[in-house]
Amino acid sequence: VSAFARPAARYLAALAVVTILAFIAAREVRIETDFSAFLPPTATQEERLLVSQLREGLVSRLMLVALEGADDRTLARASRALASRLASDPAFEFVANGSREGLATQLDVLMRHRYDLSPRVEPSRFTAEGLRAALQQTLDDLASTAGILTRDTVARDPTGELPALLMAMGAPASPTTRHGVWFSADGRRAFLLAQTRAAGFDSEGQDAAMAQVRGALAPGVNATLTGPGAFAAESRRLIRADTRRLGLWSSALILALLVVVYRSPLAIGLVLVPTALGLLAGVLVVHAAFGAVHAITLAFAATLVGESIDYPSYVLLNAQPGETARRAARRVGGTLMLAVLTTVASASALALSSFQGLAQLGLLTMVGVVVAGLAARFLIPCLLDDRVLTFPRLWLPAFDSLARARWPSFAAMAAVALAAVFLFMKHPGWWENDLASLSPVPAHLRALDAELRREMAAPEVSVFVASTGSSEAEALANASQLPGTLEKARDEGLLRGFDSPARLLPAQEVQAERRAALPPDGELSQNLRAALRGLPFRPDAFAPFLQDVTQARAAPFVTRATYDGTPIGSRLQAQVLSLDGRWIALTSITGITDAKRLSERVAGPDTSLVDLRQVSNAMLEGFRHEAMRQAALGALAIVALLAIGLRSGRRALRVTLPVAGALLLTVATLAALGHRIGVFHLVALLLVLGIGLNYALFFERPPEDEAERERTRLALALCGASTVVTFGILATSATPVLRAIGASVAIGATWSLLLAATGSRKP
Amino acid sequence: VSALAFVARLLLLVAGSTAAHAAEALDMGRLMRALAAAPAGKVEFRELKHSSLLATPVESRGTLSYRRPDVVEKDVVAPRPERFRIEGDTLSVTRAGKTRSIPLASQPVLGAFAASLRGVLAGDEKLLREYFRVALSGTEADWRLELTPIDEEVARLVAAVAVSGHAARVAVIEVREAGGDRSVLQVR
Repeated sequence: VSAFARPAARYLAALAVVTILAFIAAREVRIETDFSAFLPPTATQEERLLVSQLREGLVSRLMLVALEGADDRTLARASRALASRLASDPAFEFVANGSREGLATQLDVLMRHRYDLSPRVEPSRFTAEGLRAALQQTLDDLASTAGILTRDTVARDPTGELPALLMAMGAPASPTTRHGVWFSADGRRAFLLAQTRAAGFDSEGQDAAMAQVRGALAPGVNATLTGPGAFAAESRRLIRADTRRLGLWSSALILALLVVVYRSPLAIGLVLVPTALGLLAGVLVVHAAFGAVHAITLAFAATLVGESIDYPSYVLLNAQPGETARRAARRVGGTLMLAVLTTVASASALALSSFQGLAQLGLLTMVGVVVAGLAARFLIPCLLDDRVLTFPRLWLPAFDSLARARWPSFAAMAAVALAAVFLFMKHPGWWENDLASLSPVPAHLRALDAELRREMAAPEVSVFVASTGSSEAEALANASQLPGTLEKARDEGLLRGFDSPARLLPAQEVQAERRAALPPDGELSQNLRAALRGLPFRPDAFAPFLQDVTQARAAPFVTRATYDGTPIGSRLQAQVLSLDGRWIALTSITGITDAKRLSERVAGPDTSLVDLRQVSNAMLEGFRHEAMRQAALGALAIVALLAIGLRSGRRALRVTLPVAGALLLTVATLAALGHRIGVFHLVALLLVLGIGLNYALFFERPPEDEAERERTRLALALCGASTVVTFGILATSATPVLRAIGASVAIGATWSLLLAATGSRKP
Repeated sequence: VSALAFVARLLLLVAGSTAAHAAEALDMGRLMRALAAAPAGKVEFRELKHSSLLATPVESRGTLSYRRPDVVEKDVVAPRPERFRIEGDTLSVTRAGKTRSIPLASQPVLGAFAASLRGVLAGDEKLLREYFRVALSGTEADWRLELTPIDEEVARLVAAVAVSGHAARVAVIEVREAGGDRSVLQVR
């Protein structure tokens, strides 16, 4: 007799397997938090552009810091102190707060390269006459009260190229300034912008950067941090806190339910084994297939628990008095396997999804339910062996009357019809079309971010003209054709402003041409001497100018690298990028009024107007169509499975109809509660489908006698209650994703149970 | 020198300094009241700019006017017409027919510039002390106010503003820039 003949040894072996699997999972599985796994897949170049902008775009690494809680002078001081602390912090590329010191590096770069960049540089401006006119202007400026503002550069730049350059760049939209730093209009908030080195989706790096900001804060001043990075960190924190809190509550409540029904620690322990095995196997397989498991997939794993925890109950609670689990399992085994297979069919719709995150979830569910189902069917009977568990009888009169009377069926049909009419009339208002809804960030944080951005007058960059080329230079050359057209369009009121990368990255020929406009040293100093004649300047006053010109001629040409470490540099990183072997230069447009006319105006073989909002809406719509197609295929597979498994089309219909009705009612209830049905709701609905089919399958199973019917009811009541409890708790989550799933499944399970009960079979 | 004489001199020194302090405090109040009571109006000025870039200073001319409680206008006629008008929270600069308005609060140096003019013309000691360390010297008939910016941002550009005058009349406003340049505005 082998050691496994003894039940105690089998329990130990099962425990050991679970423990080892848990150990491997904890050690090996890499958890990724990059939210873009949950972005729709990209088909077109525009869509890839959208995703690259979301991941690495203009604002993805930009942290917005709002200081508040003190008077404006204190806030301004705090802003300066914070900016100078963070400027030397390696976690940040740059910090800007509107002050001159913050922009010193950038101004220095522009000053050094002013002769390459200024559009006014021409030979005529450096002749004796040209210089004479410039010096006359300089003299007037010097005499003026305002002269103090340009005093420190005028000896180097008497022709005023830097001011001209800054003017041509246009005043960037920026907040109001108080005490020399950015402030909200009402003076209650001081603003800083900090560019992190960590990528926006690197939630750990962002978390560290946020801690640096908070640590560098002056006492008595509060900081609000927003931006994609801050969101990533915040949602990670929220999801963690949520999973801990929700996990604790739902575990406690499920345990309480199990205690009420089973009143046996052994039975409760057994119920948990298939779920644990299924979950661990699912996570390990997903890890093996994808190389990592996404954090949100793990959060979704709750959905798997919600279903697999039911399987052992179907076996254990269906045992007749005195019957072993083995015999009971043999009796309900067919129905149980059908329940598992239908869930696999519905999850396969997910597994085929081109969303990587959803594909992971689908695979996790498929593996999880198969393992949990097999464990419930074979492992539990094996563990229990000859032991017979007895459970107290619970009386459930509600189900009884539901099954006995005829009116519940009619009421259910009426409700379903009403739901269908409601959805038809409200269509398509209940569909979610905003990509932002995919964000795991709570709406109030997004609203706060939007408010701060508005106060900061930071334009939302979602519309731009994309100019492409086979090289960076070609793309920029194409982009450099735009400013003329766009200026005209602006004067006609088609747009408010634009920001072209070409202005700061002129073609090398243009730069060389500008340099050629600067006369050789000897000639220039001769021209200067002639120009100074009769003016009250000291003869050597503009020696720094001559030096600068000499240096400018020898300096390397301006490239993107020239601007590294400055706000312009990071903007150019986002505006000039290579995608699929092509280069793209983005000229961002703000305040667009007539997209159609502007699009006609700028369109060319290598240029087009791109509206990221439209692209993202189209992407979501495309995804929805894909999801619907896959769901339809999944549904077909389920019906086929049922028809084969139940050997009767009629019975298959009796199982599927209540489920279809429940799904319709669930969507209608969610829409009536103000939810917009998005990707995450669809995921939840797939789970509702799986659970609903289980309920319907077990209710539809013809019972041998009244006692068995009652046992089935008890099992289903327990399963329904545990699902509603778990997901009801999930619905209180602070994370929108989890809330959407929680609400959908809790509502869906309730409807499924009620509708399935109306179709319950008599012996 | 005997010890007694030393102590006596020390006492005198202490007494002298407190007396001087009291006198200054008293004079500051009196000067401010006198300035506050002086009639507002318009005066002509000429301003000389001294700069390390210049062999000889350049001169500009114009009018300076004040209307209670807070409107100050500096109207330059030559060599290039230019107008600075401070009213409420705004500075408007008109040059070549174009006017640009800038909130005073936006840059510390603008606030300080406005406070130096308004504070002196209105006799507003509180406003002056908000932006400057104030030192008063001379006599009532021939006084001199030395205003040193408190804010670092302002101090980066302006070393000090010295205003001198006779009784309730402002005579000279001298702005000494941090770089060594200075402008001397003389009321005629």
